[in-house]
Amino acid sequence: MRIQLTVLVLFCLCIQFTELPAETNSHAEYVKLVEKGFRALFQGENQTTIDAFNAALSIEPNHYEILHYLGMIYSEDSSWNKAVEVYNRSLELQPDNIEVLYSLGVVYFKLNQWEDALTPLQKVVSLSPRHARGYEVLGKVYVKLRQYAKAVKVLDKAIELKPNAAGNYNELGNAHLNLTAYDDAIKNFKKAIEIGPPDFAEPHFGLGNAYLRTGNPQKSREEMQIYQTLQKIAADHERYTRLTRVDPNNLEGWVGLAKVLMQQRKYKRVLPVFQKCIELAKAQNASAATIAGFHHGISQTFINLKYPKLAVDSAKTAIQLMPEHDLFYNTLGSAYAMLGDVQNAIGVFQKAVSLNEEQPYYHLNLSKLYDSIGQQKLAKQHYQAYQHFLSLREQQKK
Amino acid sequence: MNANFCVNAEDENIEMILIPAGTFSMGSNARAADERPIHKVHLSAYYISKYEVTNAEYYEFWHSLEKEKTKNSQSQIEHTPESFSHLQHIGSWPERASEFPNHPIVGVSWHDAKAYAEWKGMRLPTEAEWEKAARGYSDRIWPWGNSMIPNANTSEKNDGFENRIAPVGSYPKGKSFYGVMDMAGNVWEWTADWYSDIYYLHSPKQNPKGPEVGSWRVLRGGSWIDKLTRCSTTFRFYLYPTLKTSFVGFRLAKTAETEKK
Repeated sequence: MRIQLTVLVLFCLCIQFTELPAETNSHAEYVKLVEKGFRALFQGENQTTIDAFNAALSIEPNHYEILHYLGMIYSEDSSWNKAVEVYNRSLELQPDNIEVLYSLGVVYFKLNQWEDALTPLQKVVSLSPRHARGYEVLGKVYVKLRQYAKAVKVLDKAIELKPNAAGNYNELGNAHLNLTAYDDAIKNFKKAIEIGPPDFAEPHFGLGNAYLRTGNPQKSREEMQIYQTLQKIAADHERYTRLTRVDPNNLEGWVGLAKVLMQQRKYKRVLPVFQKCIELAKAQNASAATIAGFHHGISQTFINLKYPKLAVDSAKTAIQLMPEHDLFYNTLGSAYAMLGDVQNAIGVFQKAVSLNEEQPYYHLNLSKLYDSIGQQKLAKQHYQAYQHFLSLREQQKK
Repeated sequence: MNANFCVNAEDENIEMILIPAGTFSMGSNARAADERPIHKVHLSAYYISKYEVTNAEYYEFWHSLEKEKTKNSQSQIEHTPESFSHLQHIGSWPERASEFPNHPIVGVSWHDAKAYAEWKGMRLPTEAEWEKAARGYSDRIWPWGNSMIPNANTSEKNDGFENRIAPVGSYPKGKSFYGVMDMAGNVWEWTADWYSDIYYLHSPKQNPKGPEVGSWRVLRGGSWIDKLTRCSTTFRFYLYPTLKTSFVGFRLAKTAETEKK
């Protein structure tokens, strides 16, 4: 009997001593994986984050926060159904979590499950009455569900909380359009265009529709044309983005992407694209003219970003590669002018004129600079040249 | 000039710096959307700790709870920091309190930070208080100014502490206008406020205390795993208040007595 008891006590002790470290070890592993996930998250390594968080949750499944972060990464990767699953798991642990409810509503919206999106989003704005993003998405959901009066009410609240979100004005314009409140629709579409990014196409479509319904076909056509142009640029953007993702060494794809980004005036984003173009062009032994063109593109980008010193450097590189290209001198002159270096600017604009006398805008630039330093005679002379070559060009067009 | 602000508060152990009452510019129009708009905020005078709370300082608090616990229950001691046995430069709790006494405490949740602050008779700084202490009156991008000199422990190379936490006060050149240390890099710092991306659009002009509800608490300052750009005086980060990570710590604040009266 005593032996049996001793064995039992030893057995219990063994359980205690073996279980405790195992638990500690598994928690240590959980901590390590969560840390790994966060570091990857900060570095934009989504797949590593997903793997690390999933592994962590397999050890300790009841962490509502990690489930939410995991869902957010799934959403970023457009894995909507996986996101729904982990958001719901997170909400089982913490049903009133505002941000998880919001995230779930957004995913249902993306999945076109408008009815499903309603419940979590309504809960968001009820729990947090100043949650602008919640009102925004809820407004969009009401528009999709054709509940326009409700959409107007919710979007008005979103705009009150966040007055500079162009998308909200566009949605509000749509709601008013469907309620046949055309004046309100036009006002909101115009506001969306005014404060939105230059490539925001949708409000032009809405405005075109509103003009058509108010008996203004000419204005409607103009807006529809802008809409179509912007749509084409957006489609090109998507096409080239996909192309460069699938085939990262496709120079044509990168060049196309650079062109589109310049059209969209997304200057910060175009810089690395031009750099990639240069890298590929060199690797593929492209001509000096091609490489010079990319440096010139970088220079123009820096001018638009208001970094004239960097613009000067890039324009000079382009000129070194292709010393007889008039446009490069014009860009260099513009960069010098931005720096306030009038003498150098005049020098390179003159060089541009000497290479291509018939380009009216080189004369205009020179005229402005001469005017700024009080050399009125030269300013007038170049202004006349500008007008002369401009009219010649217009005649040629005709 | 900074010495004028180095006024010791009543606490004997923790060095506190007086930030005088006044108006400063909060936010930025040139950076992330949630930093907009730049706006004027008036704050009453307050103290802020010169350094982030260290392992040794937090240990005192934890040890007091440990003593309580042995009397009352078998459960884990409340507010125990997370252990990071896989990170040798941080290590496990409580061993690291003696191994790295001057390192900032990490692995603490917002609730742990708040509990410690209250135990010390203080509180966490509001987001506005944090930003003013870091930024001064002249809209500095980093506490030391606008140059991208790595006067802080970030993920950038050649800052002296590659891939590891530094003891508090390791970057004297990185101090803020008011003389507050380590407000960029090393560890993110919990603030008292809930996070809202639109808060600056509607926040009170006097002593803002953050939104009334939220899911995330605001963190400021960046850390040893962040790029320098995320360590600016205006950059806003947010995490769930329950999280305990190797890159988040905190510092203390206290309303100045004269203001209370």
